[in-house]
Amino acid sequence: MAEIKIRNLHKEFGTGADKVVALEDVNLDMGGHVFVSIVGPSGCGKSTLLNILSGIETPTSGSLEITQSGHKAAPGYVFQAARLLPWRTVMDNLLFVQQDKSDETRARCQKYLEMVQLGDKGDKFPGELSGGMQQRVGIARAFSIEPDVLFMDEPFSHLDAITARSLRRELHTMWADTGKTIIFVTHDVGEAVELSNRILVFAQGGRLEDDITVDLDFPRDAADEEVAIAKASVLRKFEEFDLLAT
Amino acid sequence: MTAVATKPPSSSSGTAIPPRRPSSAPMRFIKSPRFARAMFLPAVLVFWLISNKLIENSWDFDSSVLATPREVWDFMWAEVTRDTVAPKDLYETFGISLYRLGIGFSISMILGTTIGLGMGLSRAVNAFFHDWVMALLAMPALAWALFLSLIFGFDNKGPIIAVVLAGIPFVIVNVREGVRSTPRDLFDMSNAFGVPSNKRTRHVLLPSLYPFLFASARYALSIGWKGLVIIELFGGQDGAGWTVKFWYDAHRLHGVIGYSMFFVIFALVMENAILEPISRRVFRWRPSLNSPDIVEEEMDALYDVEELNRELDANLPTGSTQET
Repeated sequence: MAEIKIRNLHKEFGTGADKVVALEDVNLDMGGHVFVSIVGPSGCGKSTLLNILSGIETPTSGSLEITQSGHKAAPGYVFQAARLLPWRTVMDNLLFVQQDKSDETRARCQKYLEMVQLGDKGDKFPGELSGGMQQRVGIARAFSIEPDVLFMDEPFSHLDAITARSLRRELHTMWADTGKTIIFVTHDVGEAVELSNRILVFAQGGRLEDDITVDLDFPRDAADEEVAIAKASVLRKFEEFDLLAT
Repeated sequence: MTAVATKPPSSSSGTAIPPRRPSSAPMRFIKSPRFARAMFLPAVLVFWLISNKLIENSWDFDSSVLATPREVWDFMWAEVTRDTVAPKDLYETFGISLYRLGIGFSISMILGTTIGLGMGLSRAVNAFFHDWVMALLAMPALAWALFLSLIFGFDNKGPIIAVVLAGIPFVIVNVREGVRSTPRDLFDMSNAFGVPSNKRTRHVLLPSLYPFLFASARYALSIGWKGLVIIELFGGQDGAGWTVKFWYDAHRLHGVIGYSMFFVIFALVMENAILEPISRRVFRWRPSLNSPDIVEEEMDALYDVEELNRELDANLPTGSTQET
């Protein structure tokens, strides 16, 4: 199981009068078979934290450890837009992020394409697929490297409600089946409550305001009373921290 | 209980648009782009013949100077069958020019791509070359022709350098813009997955440059060809440009027009037999708007719409109206 330790993590952009604090002394411990959602208003540092965790950006100060059984853990990433190479087929997009192109690797990629119901679309180009299907390929690509921890940055925010709902279910099944640690950034509190067993609430200036445990059975449905109550409870936290106005 | 209101059919609104009467098959053919394209050549021939007649009637000079389509056709056929009074036949002439064009084009693509990459990646390199490239862009091909003829005389060096100088600024500018517009998000994705830099260059940077390289190649070929013809005309002793001048000096307008037509045919063959097929192959990933291969979301839409409607029904307050 992956373990993430964040200590006094601080990130600033710009200098002097243009300086913007994106994350302010964040301390966190996450790990095991958990689905952690990071929520908060726009500009609160959610995506910055994810970019630092995945190595796309470096912190200004502080320390970060992502380990798996004492070794450096392998991360996977699902982006807001699928970010597929448009000039390569679906299968080649999965192979692009692999160490090799052996038969075993191909079989593994095919397995994850089938998990996202795109087993017969390996020879298609991304431009021949709908937005939802492209995002499925993005999810399959992240799972296909069999990461210890998976980072997801608002992966369903560009999709229509029906497709997003369908993908949320598929993602949750894959999380349950593979036992990964998933760190999921979203601005949709309902989505966070439906998917996660832990929700981190961030405020403007990159402050971690609250760390909420959602202790409800899976699978959850937005129409369930318990889920609606949990969602209302998280939204009350937003009011409490004055996050709704921002 | 939930009431469902539906919109009345649009035809009952009183502003129904009458259905269009379908065109007949001959009318559809006449209006088609294929027919329009086929009509271009006859239209040119008619215009040509009418212009000849008008000129003959308007000015007082020897009408035999004007070339008729028939004379041009006979000239071209004679050239194709090697029945010519020119020192070199059509194939030798185009062979000489294509040799010069091929070498000059290759140099301009290789050198232009290298400099363009440097300018796109480094602000210092961009600053160094910027003014030179702008100066090259502004220089007319005629000036190069005279300048290079004086320096190199009548051998191959002048024409080849003319092709390079005419084409290279377009290659540099295109490649530089290509590098500047490479998709940053794909590089971030590659970094996040730990893809090695040589793999990133081969699979992300180069493919994203292909459209710019193709545009460069087209420009370099067409501009280089024009530059080559001009320098051969002014400072050559063989080649396609020189042969046009040969027919001009012989006062044979059909020769000048016929040779110019060979240029047009050459350009069309280059485009349709070489560049376009390569382009189609390299850019086969681009979806065509009319492509039947566009895959629609097909797996769960129906299932989810029904379920979503049930949920909406369950959550809406009693008596509310859901418009569909």
